[in-house]
Amino acid sequence: MGDKTGDKADVWQGTLALMILKTLESMGPQHGYGIARRIEQTSGDQLSVNYGTLYPALLKLEQDGYITAEWGVSENNRRARFYRLTRTGRNQLKRETKEWEQATAILARFLAPKESV
Amino acid sequence: MITMRGLIVRIAGLFNRRSAESEMEQEFQSHLQMQIEDNLRAGMPAEEARRVALLKSGGIAAAREAHREQRGLPFMDTLLQDLRYGARVLRKSPGFTFVAVLTLALGIGANTAIFSVVNAVLLAKLPVHEPNRLVQLWETEVSPGRFPFAGPDYLDWKSQNHTLESAALYRYPSPANSSHNGQSQPVLVQRAESSYFSVLGVNAELGRTFAKGDDQPSKRHIAVLSYQYWEESFAGRDDALNSNLDLDNEKYMVVGVMPPWFRFPAEVQVFVPLDMTLHGIGERGNHSYKAIGRLKPGVNPETAEADMKTIAAGLEKQFPGTNDHVSAVVVPLREEILGNARQRLLLLLAAVGAVLLLACANVANLLLAKASGRQKEMSLRTVLGASRLRVVRQLLTESLMLSIGGGVIGLAGGFWLVKLIESSKQLPIPRYNPVRIDTPVLLFTFGLSVLVGVIFGLAPIFQTARLDLSEELKSTSQTVMNGSRLTRLLRDCLVVLELGVSLALLIVAGLLLRSFVQLQRTDIGVDAHNVSVGFIMLPDVHYPDLQARKLFCNRLVQELSAIPGVQSVALSTEIPIEGAWNGTINVPGDANPAHRRQLVEFNFITPDYFRTLGIRYKQGRVFNQQDMEHGAEVTLKIDELVKKNPKLETVPPELSYVAVINEFMARMFWPDQDALGKIFRWGGTNMQIIGVVGDVKQTGIRGEKIPQAYFPLTLNEDTPRFGASMIVKAAGAQANVFAAIRSKLQDIDNTLAVYSPRTMETVIAGDIQDATLETWLFGSLAGIALILAVVGLYSVLAYLVSQRTREIGIRMALGAQQGNILNLVMRHAVVLICVGIFTGLAGALLAARAMTDMLFGVKAHDPLTFGTVISLLSVVALAACLIPVRRAMRVDPMVALRYE
Repeated sequence: MGDKTGDKADVWQGTLALMILKTLESMGPQHGYGIARRIEQTSGDQLSVNYGTLYPALLKLEQDGYITAEWGVSENNRRARFYRLTRTGRNQLKRETKEWEQATAILARFLAPKESV
Repeated sequence: MITMRGLIVRIAGLFNRRSAESEMEQEFQSHLQMQIEDNLRAGMPAEEARRVALLKSGGIAAAREAHREQRGLPFMDTLLQDLRYGARVLRKSPGFTFVAVLTLALGIGANTAIFSVVNAVLLAKLPVHEPNRLVQLWETEVSPGRFPFAGPDYLDWKSQNHTLESAALYRYPSPANSSHNGQSQPVLVQRAESSYFSVLGVNAELGRTFAKGDDQPSKRHIAVLSYQYWEESFAGRDDALNSNLDLDNEKYMVVGVMPPWFRFPAEVQVFVPLDMTLHGIGERGNHSYKAIGRLKPGVNPETAEADMKTIAAGLEKQFPGTNDHVSAVVVPLREEILGNARQRLLLLLAAVGAVLLLACANVANLLLAKASGRQKEMSLRTVLGASRLRVVRQLLTESLMLSIGGGVIGLAGGFWLVKLIESSKQLPIPRYNPVRIDTPVLLFTFGLSVLVGVIFGLAPIFQTARLDLSEELKSTSQTVMNGSRLTRLLRDCLVVLELGVSLALLIVAGLLLRSFVQLQRTDIGVDAHNVSVGFIMLPDVHYPDLQARKLFCNRLVQELSAIPGVQSVALSTEIPIEGAWNGTINVPGDANPAHRRQLVEFNFITPDYFRTLGIRYKQGRVFNQQDMEHGAEVTLKIDELVKKNPKLETVPPELSYVAVINEFMARMFWPDQDALGKIFRWGGTNMQIIGVVGDVKQTGIRGEKIPQAYFPLTLNEDTPRFGASMIVKAAGAQANVFAAIRSKLQDIDNTLAVYSPRTMETVIAGDIQDATLETWLFGSLAGIALILAVVGLYSVLAYLVSQRTREIGIRMALGAQQGNILNLVMRHAVVLICVGIFTGLAGALLAARAMTDMLFGVKAHDPLTFGTVISLLSVVALAACLIPVRRAMRVDPMVALRYE
C-alpha cells in the first residue's frame, strides 16, 4: 500500500473503517481530507493516512451503506465530496465499538502482569 | 468480507466506470489542493507546499488502482475486458469468425444429437424398478440359438427355480381388430401374464395395471392402454377408464393407462391378460412365447442360467419327445434390448467425434495462421507489463468465445436433430427411453464446447509461450511471417491428422456403401414389383372353426381377384423377408443328425402364392384348389383323432398332405436324388413333395439360405386366432389398391381391419433400412471430413507459399526453373499426403475390424474399397494443392524482392 512517511505508522487496515465512522459521528459530515487530518490529529500524529488507504476504505463503507457521500463546498470555498454517517452506519459503529472494547479488554487481561489465583 | 449489498454495488460498478473515474479524479484533486492550502497556511513557499503535499498523499497511481479495485470486481473486470477485446478482434475478421463458429457449430451440433441418442440408449437406465435384476428368459432347441418358450415349460421353470423372485410369460405382439364408432381399426395387442407389470415394477399412470389372477378365464377381459393409444383413440379422456374396448369382437374393460414413457415394448397399444389356464397355454413343444424374470437380490444371470439349465435337463428326461435338446438361456434384459445397437452407436459417436476433431484442427490451423500475425502484438503487450498468464488468458478467452458461440448454435441445431430423431419411427434404435436434450446432454455439450475451445486455443498459446521478446520486436513483418519452425511443424501435424481421420472415415463409409450395394443387389427370389401386402386377423367369435375360415379365405381371394387391374391374389401365413415360422422335419431313413437339427421355414399358402410373388417354378407342380380341399379334409380328420386320443404321436400314413419345397431343401435332404414324390414327416404327419420352387430370402436379406417348405393354407385354418397376409399383384402401379382392398373387405365383414398395409418394395426396403441410414450417415460425415481436410491442406500450402514468396523470388532470380519451384512446393504436399494416408490406414483397419457385424458381402479389409478411397483422397488432396502451386510458379521475382 502507501509508502511510509518518516517514522509514522500506517493505519492498521481493519481499524481504519472504525476510525472513519467514529470521526464522522463526532464531527458530522466531513470530506476525505478533513477525515484524514482528524485521524492524524487524534492519534497525536502517530498515524499517517494517505489516498491509497483512505479512499478505498471510504468507498467500501459507502458500498456497504454505512456512509453516504455528496458534493459540497468546503469552509475554504473549495468543491469537495462530503461523507455522512447513515443510520446503519451508526448501528455498525456501536456494534464495532463494542466488539473492540471486548477484544481490547480480553487482550489487556492477557497482557496484564499475572496474579496468583 | 464483502456484504451482499457491497457485492451488488460492485457489480453495478462494472458498468458506470467512466463517471466513477472522473469523480475519483476530482476528489483526489480537491484533497491535494486542501493539503497544499494547509501547507501554505503553515508558511511554506508555494513550490515546497506542493511538493510536500504530493509526498504526503502517497503514490497517486497506486491509490487510483486500489480505488478501482475496490470499485468493481477485479476478476470480472479483467474478464469483461478480455471479452470486449476478444469481441473486437473477432469482429475485425468476420470471415474467419464466421467460418470458425460455423465449423464448430456443425461438429458440436452433430455430437450433441448423437450423444443424446447414446445417453438415452446406452447410459440412461431402463425406466423400470431396479432394471439390473431383470432378465429375458429363452429356451434353446435342436439348432443353436435363442428360441421362444413353450407354455408348459415356462410353468415348470417358474415353479421349480430358486433364483427368480418373479417371472411373467407373454406373447409376441399381434394385431387385432378394434371396432370403434362403427369403424374397424387394427391395434397391436400384447397378451401377458398378470405378473407382467409387477415384474417390471411399473405402475399405471391412470387406473391400475393387471392384478394377480387377472389371467384367469373369468377376469380376463380387461385391458391396459399405452399412453399414446389412449390419446389417439380415447382423446386422453379420464372416462376411458371402465369403458369398453372391442377387440376381435370381444368386449374388454379398460382398467388402466400406462405412463407416457412406458415403452416395453414401444409399439404395443393395448395389453390384455394372457390365458394362463393349462388349456390356453398350449402344448409342450409349441414354442411361441417370450418370458421375463426378476432375479432375487444378489443373484447374477449366470447363476440363474445354471439353475434353469438344471430344470430344463430334468424336463428333457421327463418329456423326451417334445423337449429333446431344449435347454435354457438367461440374458440381462438390458443386453437383450440393446442387441448390437451399442457397437453401432459407439462407432457413430466415434465418427462424429472425429469430425469434431477435424473441425478443431481446422480452426486451430486458422488461429495459428492468425497468431503468426499477432506475435508482435503479444510481444508488445508482454513488454508493456502484461504477465504471460494474462496474455494466455486473453488468447483462451478468444478461442472460448469462438467455441461457445459454436456450441450455442450447435445446440440449436442439436435440438432440431433430436426432435427429428425422436419423431422418426423408423430409426433402428432401441426406444425404451425417449431421446431428448436433458441435463446430461446439456452438460456434455457445454463441456465439449469448453474442451474444444481449450484444445484449439492451446495451439497459438504454445507458440506465444516461446516468444523471444526482443527478437520479435526487432524483427520486420516479413520475418515474423516466416513463423517458427515449431509452428510449421504443428500445422503440418494438424494436416496429417486431418487427412488421416478423413481417410479412416471415408473407408468406413466406403465399406458401408459397398455392403449397401451388395444388399440391394441380393436376389431375394421374388418379384416385388406392384405387389402389396396387408395382414388380417379373423376373430374366433365370428370364425370359430376351419370351415368358417376356409369359406372366408376362398371368398376373400375371389373378391380381391375381381378388383380391376389386379393380376393375382394369394393368402399366406408368412411373407418373404419377414418369415419366422420354423421347425424341424424328419426324413424317413435319413440318419444324418445335422438334418435332424436343421431348421426349416414353413409357410402356409393359397395356390397363387408363387405366381403372385413371381417365385420361380423349378420342378413338378404347385398347389391347386383340390390340394386345398384335400388339406382341409385331412386336417379335420386328424383333429378328430387327436380329440379322441390327445397323446397321439403318429398319424396313420393314409392321412397325408402335399408340400412344395425350395431348391435348397431338395438339395440338402435329397442330394443325389429327385426330391419329387419323396416323403418327410412334420409333426407326425406325412408330407409328400409335389413340386420344387426357387429359393426365397425368407428371414431377411442378410439371412442365410434356409430350407423352405410350403403347405396348403387349409392345414393351418383349424388354429384359433387365425390370421393371414393378403398378397396382391397389380398390373401397374396402383395408388389406391389398399382403398379397393379395404372396400372389398368391408363387403365381406365390416369388423375386419387391415394391419400394416405396405408394398412389398417397402417391406424389402425396411429390411435394409438400418444399412441405408448408416450408409447415408457415415457417407455425409466422411464427406464433411474430406472437405475439412482438403480445406486444411489448402490453407497450409497457401500459407507456405505466401511465407516463401521472397525465397521463391530469389531462387527464380538466381535461375531456378518453374519445375524446381513446383518441386519445392509439391514435395512438401506429397509428404503430408503420404504420412496422412498411412496414419489413416492404421485407423481405418481398427475401425473396419470393429464394424465387421455391420458389413454384408464385403470383407472388413476389402482391397477395392481401400484402394478406391486412397486414390480418391490423393487426387482430391493434390487438386487442393493446385492453386497454391500455381501461385508459387507465377511469383514475379522483381515484385517478390521489392516486397521487402
